[in-house]
Amino acid sequence: MSAGLVASGVRRMFPAGGGVESADLAMRPGEIVALVGLNGAGKTTLMRLLLGMLRAESGRVELDGVPLERLPGSTWAAVGHLVDAPLVYPELTTRTALELNARLRGAGRGVVEAALQDFGLTEYAGRRIRALSLGNRQRVGLAAALQHRPQVIVLDEPTNGLDPAGVIALREQLLARRDDGAAVLVSSHHLDEVARTADRIVVLNAGRLIGELAPHSAGLESMFFEMLLRDDEVRA
Amino acid sequence: MRPALWGESLKLAASLVGRVATVAVVVGIVVLSSAMLVAARSGNTQVVAKLGPDGTPDWHGFLAAATQITAAGGLAGFAIVLAWMFGREFADGAVNGLFALPVSRRTIAAAKLLTFAAWGALVSAALPVVLGATGVALGLGTPGATELAGLARLTVLGLAGLVLATPVAWAATLGRSVLAGVGVGIGLIVVAQVSVLAGAGGWMPLAAPALWAMTAGRGATLGQVLLVLPFGAIWVVLTLGAWRRLQVR
Repeated sequence: MSAGLVASGVRRMFPAGGGVESADLAMRPGEIVALVGLNGAGKTTLMRLLLGMLRAESGRVELDGVPLERLPGSTWAAVGHLVDAPLVYPELTTRTALELNARLRGAGRGVVEAALQDFGLTEYAGRRIRALSLGNRQRVGLAAALQHRPQVIVLDEPTNGLDPAGVIALREQLLARRDDGAAVLVSSHHLDEVARTADRIVVLNAGRLIGELAPHSAGLESMFFEMLLRDDEVRA
Repeated sequence: MRPALWGESLKLAASLVGRVATVAVVVGIVVLSSAMLVAARSGNTQVVAKLGPDGTPDWHGFLAAATQITAAGGLAGFAIVLAWMFGREFADGAVNGLFALPVSRRTIAAAKLLTFAAWGALVSAALPVVLGATGVALGLGTPGATELAGLARLTVLGLAGLVLATPVAWAATLGRSVLAGVGVGIGLIVVAQVSVLAGAGGWMPLAAPALWAMTAGRGATLGQVLLVLPFGAIWVVLTLGAWRRLQVR
């Protein structure tokens, strides 16, 4: 059983402003954690720190109990992520793009057909990525991140560009992966969508994790803004 | 390494950049050299004067033109492809997807360099074949030993151009853009040309292969040409190191 992805006191601030001031976050197996915050709060930076895309100035990130800097490369095969832009190339077809992602993650090409079906991409399998709509490109990116059945999943604003059917397909996939024991972290602006899938909602404000919200509580939106307001007042 | 090599070769083969560069380097050089030959054959004294002493309507003039064009044009073509290979993921944001993979970024960078080298070697091998066939078709007759040696020097010049373009990979990585790599590629061509004019000669790695090829070995020795290898090794090491330490900003 995976021990998940854990950040302890990670900090990475940028000279021009913004970043993560300090964050402790644990992604546990069998749990969907939603990361919410306003634009510029540091959600993407925190996800990049968790995935080794950025090095922390202080603090540490561990995957299955091993610090990222000492992690054997093969361990990353258990991770699936989509942060910012997907690893797809406009000149490749949908099927080839998924096959490339599968190979780079140590999975066989056999996972591709199931991924095409799961994300409603079968009819676009032979079409080049450059010819796909924004929403379908996002579906390809999500399929690429999830097709190899990762035990740790990190998705930054995964519903961007998705139509309602795509949102439902993603929701079903995330819930199924959670039930299979995966540790999932999803950032989002959509509190109503988050409430449908998350087991925990953590709130990030100006680079700091300031608390948690219960996903099924009434008035989630107003609670979110009250939490931000209180934090801004304390800082002021 | 195999998944990365598969991916890089697939991308290059499917891309417009790869296809256009292949045609531009091989067909472009052949077409321009043929145009020079036609001009030399025209008998127009002004045109012949502009072509210089090597502007003769025979194999010598044909190969001299091809060698000169390959020295600058080949390097430019290689630089553009390398800049694209190393800068594209920064431009479209796909670089995020190259993290947190079982295949390291250093391995991915090595796969890019190996794919580039294999493509460039194929182009360098194809150029003299197409050029020789074109020369025969244009009525220059069957190439003799001298002409075959000239054609072989073109392959060496192409391979040297591959190695000389390696700073472009490092520049595109550090500059995080295709344009940064292209800019350095143009800089390499300018430095090569200026150093020849300044008399740096065979000891300047950027100029030695062209001098050697254009003078049939009199302007630079093969040993001096081989100095491109340590030159390229430096930039390969720097590029692999930059990809190993890479962060997303």
